[in-house]
Amino acid sequence: MDEGYNSLPSTHLLGSVPAVVADDKKPAVDEARTGSHSNLHIFPPANGGYQAPGTPYDGNEQATTNWKGVLSISSYSPYFNVDTDNVVDRILSSMNPLQGDFRRKIDSYPDLYGPVWISTTLVFMLAALGNCGTYLMNRKSVPDTAWVFDVNYVNWAASVVYGYALLVPVAFYFLLQYFGCSASLTRFWCLWGYSLFIFIPSSLLLVFPDEFLRWLIILVAGAASSVFIGINLKSYTEGSDMMVMCVCAMVLQFVLALFIKFFFYA
Amino acid sequence: MSHGDTIPLHSSAQSDIDEIETLINAAPVLPARPPSPPRASIPISSSPFIPSNLPNKPPSAPPPTPPALPPISSATSGGGGIASDGFGSQSNTLTEPVWDTVKRDLLRIVSNLKLVVFPNPNREDPGKALRDWDLWGPFFFIVFLGLTLSWSASVKKSEVFAVAFAVLAAGAIILTLNVLLLGGHIIFFQSLSLLGYCLFPLDVGALICMLKDNVILKIIVVAVTLAWSSWAAYPFMSAAVAPGRKALALYPVFLLYVSIGFLIIAID
Repeated sequence: MDEGYNSLPSTHLLGSVPAVVADDKKPAVDEARTGSHSNLHIFPPANGGYQAPGTPYDGNEQATTNWKGVLSISSYSPYFNVDTDNVVDRILSSMNPLQGDFRRKIDSYPDLYGPVWISTTLVFMLAALGNCGTYLMNRKSVPDTAWVFDVNYVNWAASVVYGYALLVPVAFYFLLQYFGCSASLTRFWCLWGYSLFIFIPSSLLLVFPDEFLRWLIILVAGAASSVFIGINLKSYTEGSDMMVMCVCAMVLQFVLALFIKFFFYA
Repeated sequence: MSHGDTIPLHSSAQSDIDEIETLINAAPVLPARPPSPPRASIPISSSPFIPSNLPNKPPSAPPPTPPALPPISSATSGGGGIASDGFGSQSNTLTEPVWDTVKRDLLRIVSNLKLVVFPNPNREDPGKALRDWDLWGPFFFIVFLGLTLSWSASVKKSEVFAVAFAVLAAGAIILTLNVLLLGGHIIFFQSLSLLGYCLFPLDVGALICMLKDNVILKIIVVAVTLAWSSWAAYPFMSAAVAPGRKALALYPVFLLYVSIGFLIIAID
C-alpha cells in the first residue's frame, strides 16, 4: 500500500509556495523526456494526469477516460518540456532550411511552446509594424498624412496567423493519414509553427518604404519558408510518392507570404 | 441546543470549553495586524460547531464585553460570535464603517505595491513577498490603464478600452498558464496579482503620455516604464521555473508589456 502513495501524481497539486527549483529537477526532466516520448503523438493527452516514467502508475491507469486528460493542465506539460537552448536551436535550424535536420531535432520531444509564442509574436509584429509600414509608404506619396492606428490589422493578423498555424497542419495530418503515411499531429504543429519564425525579422525589414526592397525581402522569406516546409514534409512521406502534397504545402506557405505583403504592407 | 447532530462531548471537555470562552470574553485579544476577512486558510475558530453553554444561561459568568456586538440569541451564530469576538474580526467586518473596510484594502494595495514595484530587501525572496496577495490592486490598475488609453484615443474609444482590458486580463491568465505548463511552481491567483501590480509603471507612463502629446517624449517615457515593469516582474517569474527555462517564462511577459507599450505610443 505504501508504494502506491509514492507513485501518486503530484504535479497537478500546484498550490505550493513558489520555490527556486535547483539541480534536483534536472534528472527528473531528462528522465521524463526519454521515458514518455512515445505518448506525445497522441493529442489530446489520454491520461488523467502527468505520468512519471517507470512507476507502477503507468500500467494501472491506461484505461482512464479521455476527457479528464483534456481538462487538466498537468497533462499538457509534456508538450512544453523544452529548455531555452532547445528552443533557440530549433529556431535557428528553421531559418536555415537546406540542412534538413529539423525533423531529427523535434522527433523525440516536439514542443508546442514554439508554435504558440512564435504565432503570437508574429500577430503582434504584423499588426504594429504593418501600421508603421503603411504610414511610411503613405507619407512618401502624400507628405501630410496623419498617423492612424487601424485596429483592424490586429483582427486580421490574429485570424490569419492563428488560423493558418492551427488548421493547415490538421488538414495535412488527415490527408496523410488517409493516404496511409504515418503522421503525427504535434510534430506537424511544431513544424508549421517554427516555419513562421522567419516572417518575424522580415516583418521588421518590410517597414522600409521602398517597394522593390519589400518585394525582394518577402520573396526571399517566402521561398526559405516554403523550402523548409517542403523538405521536412518530404521526410514524413518517404514511403509513398506524395510529391503533390509537398508542393501544395510549399505553395500555401508562399501564398501566406504574399498575403502578408499585400495586406499589411500595401 | 440545535447542535444535536454533533458529536457528543466528554463531560470534562464541555467545562474546558466554558473555561476557555470565559477567558476569551474577559480579555479580548487584539490581533497583531489589522484583521482581514478570512481567505483561503484553515479556519481559526472551531467553536461554532461546539455547543456552548454560555449564551443561554443567566449570566453567572461576565457577559461579552464589546458593546458593538448585538445580543445574539440563536445558538448557531452565538458560538461564532463569541469566539470571533475574542479575535475581533469576523462579525466586525460586517458592522464596521465602510471607510474602515476601504482603508484596509487601500493599505494592503499600497503595501503590496511597495513590495513588488519598488526596490526593497524582500524582493529577492519571492515566497515572502506578496504573501498577502489581493486582486483589487490589479483590477484598479487594469481599469485605469484602459480608461487612460480610451481617453487618449480620438476615435473608437470604447473599442480601445475593450481591446486593452481584454489583452491585459487574458494576457495575465495566459502568462500564468505558460509558467505552469513549463513545469514551474506558482500559485495561480498570486501570479495574476503579481502581473497586475507590475502594470503600475505602465499606468504612470500612460498618464504622462495622455497629458503630453509629443511622439519622442512618448517613446522615451514608454521605454523607461517598460524597463521598470520588466524589472519588477523579473524575480518572481524567474524564481518560479527551473533555471534552464527562465528565458522561456520571461519572454511572454516582455512581449505583453511591449505590446501594451506600443498601444500607448500608437494611440493618437
